[in-house]
Amino acid sequence: MQTGLNALFAAAYLSLVAVGLVLIFGVMGVINFAHGELFMLGAYVVVALYTNLQMPFVLVVAIGLIFVGLVGILMEFTMFHPLRDNPLGGLVASIGFLMVIQASITIGFGVRMEHVPPVTQDVIILSEKVRLPVQRLFVILSAFVCLTALWLFLKKTKFGWALRASAQDPEAAMLQGISTRTVSIIAMFIGAALAGVAGSVTAPVISVSPVIGHAVIVSAFIVIIVGGIGSLEGAVLASVTYAFIHTVITTFIDGVIADIVGLSLMLLVLIIKPTGMFGTQDRV
Amino acid sequence: MKNFSSQTKREFLKRMAATVSAGMVVGLPKMSLAAGETIKIGFLAPLTGPVAAWGKPGLDGCQIWAERINAAGGISINGEGHPVEFIGYDNEYDPAKARAGASKLVIEDGVKFVMMLGGDPWPGAQPVADRTGMLFSTLLPSDLGPDTTTLIAPAEVHPIYNVTGVQWLAENHPELKSAVICAQDDALGIPSVATYLAAFEASGIANEDPILFDAATTDFAPIVSRMISLNTDIICLDTCYTEFVHPLVEQLFQQGYEGTIISCTADFYQQMIEKTSAEFMEGFVFQFPDFDDPALEQDFINFDDPAGFFSEYNSRHPGEWGAVSWEYASIMDLWKWAAEKANSVEPGDVLASMLESGQGEHAFGTADWWGMDLFGIDHALVGNWPVVVIKGGKARIQDYKWIPGWYDEFGDILKKYFTQYNLMWDQR
Repeated sequence: MQTGLNALFAAAYLSLVAVGLVLIFGVMGVINFAHGELFMLGAYVVVALYTNLQMPFVLVVAIGLIFVGLVGILMEFTMFHPLRDNPLGGLVASIGFLMVIQASITIGFGVRMEHVPPVTQDVIILSEKVRLPVQRLFVILSAFVCLTALWLFLKKTKFGWALRASAQDPEAAMLQGISTRTVSIIAMFIGAALAGVAGSVTAPVISVSPVIGHAVIVSAFIVIIVGGIGSLEGAVLASVTYAFIHTVITTFIDGVIADIVGLSLMLLVLIIKPTGMFGTQDRV
Repeated sequence: MKNFSSQTKREFLKRMAATVSAGMVVGLPKMSLAAGETIKIGFLAPLTGPVAAWGKPGLDGCQIWAERINAAGGISINGEGHPVEFIGYDNEYDPAKARAGASKLVIEDGVKFVMMLGGDPWPGAQPVADRTGMLFSTLLPSDLGPDTTTLIAPAEVHPIYNVTGVQWLAENHPELKSAVICAQDDALGIPSVATYLAAFEASGIANEDPILFDAATTDFAPIVSRMISLNTDIICLDTCYTEFVHPLVEQLFQQGYEGTIISCTADFYQQMIEKTSAEFMEGFVFQFPDFDDPALEQDFINFDDPAGFFSEYNSRHPGEWGAVSWEYASIMDLWKWAAEKANSVEPGDVLASMLESGQGEHAFGTADWWGMDLFGIDHALVGNWPVVVIKGGKARIQDYKWIPGWYDEFGDILKKYFTQYNLMWDQR
């Protein structure tokens, strides 16, 4: 039971990151290597506003969501749109942007781990050996709310329909009067904001440093390859699957073996079904 | 001809290479210092990245050390004072960058001594040390080997000093009978695992199988769940990086652990108390004191004004005091002592001066040059090491333990585990 709760926490923040990554790829066709750094930026918003300025945590998370979303729009304007005709341009530019963000944070905050005071030390005691810290519950609930809101947005709103249409066939979408540029900007905002909110809500329970994006992006890439690049449902289900497998193996066997199994799972999917568990020719 | 033909071609080439290298070292010009000339010291350690906490604070400590020494007239060579200057190079804990940094410091900057954290980057710098004969230091004596005679481990005998914490626990809490260790699976974590396994066994404490995790781990809840499920009296956090120790301790608190915790380090432990509670952290055992500790105000301590140093460090870098803040500075104390004794800053002269009597002035008292058994060379300065325990929210030294004494009694156990993990110098 405790292992299940641990896995649920890991699946929650990982799915936020992976879904954002998939959304950006689905609409814009860009693999955003700087996505882990957007997660890191969200965590540093908490360091700056919650730790240093002692603003209310929930407000800071909301600011983190908007701020990192705006950084996503900045990336669209400065890199992905100008390089839209270059198949590898966006990817290479995002690697450069990754370094710029890391260096900027290092200059601004220093190299060492930042201390984020606990928002609450309350723990829900479900049984003698099963405990759920409220901070971790907050991460799980945040992921649930954000992903539900995204699902409703994509399925129930005109913008969501436009976004899905652009992902499936950009030319047909343009002929229908949909501005693919506007759609790209919206996708970039949402994708980045999801990574930002993941970083913000997890900041009090992880060690925040300028390099935390690396571990997150590696797991996110495994997840989107297993789930199927371009599939939002696949990203969520693969996040849950990966998190449970990784957590169970870490708990009962070994953390290093869990990493090996995670990578092996990705290779297995690539061999058996290269489009991933839920991947199709269509995106989003 | 018979002797020559009995050698393999490889052996012959190795000997030739060694001869040429030796010739280069011998052939390096010995530059005498001009009056008042600044002595440059290289600082080759991670200043950014995940291991920066064991590099950058050391450089900050060295700057304070240099200001103190320079204000007192500098390093005295042949009766003349020379100011000292540190030149930092960020190796990012990467061997390739360490190699580039070592070359730059030695060849371009003309440093007289290079201090490193050691570990993974050392193989990158090692060829530069071998080729130039430059004196290097490491905090990790597991880097030592007989092939490189200009590498010393004069401050921190990581991880051997970890035996002292376990020894103290066993003496003061004999009711503790079982332990489990967790560590990141890397060059810093594994030697420490072997040492803690030996220390627990030597103290009659049963070991569970160590729990290893990848250095890219971000969520430690599963690891903590597993450790707690083993119901041991002691949870040992090995030599985990600071970024890991904090979330591990927080998880232990949140998952309701009530046993004893021992760790090599507890950098920024006040933050851990804030994330848990003073009650939870009470009795946390580790190895690195705050330097305002009254137990450092004793005659055998070879560190000038530790409380003043601690105060100055904290005023310049509030909240950043850590395990390495004083260590590189203490290496410089030893280097200064040896250089002034030799009246030379040339690497070979300083090294010979350091090793001359078989003993050296370590921060925690006179210590022995030691290590032939484990490292194939007596280049680790080993003596007293403090055992630190958090009491009432403050870290305080409880005792000093003499490491060579422990090794004399239990060395075979340590060698057994070093051999098991392929850590002996002839296995590397």
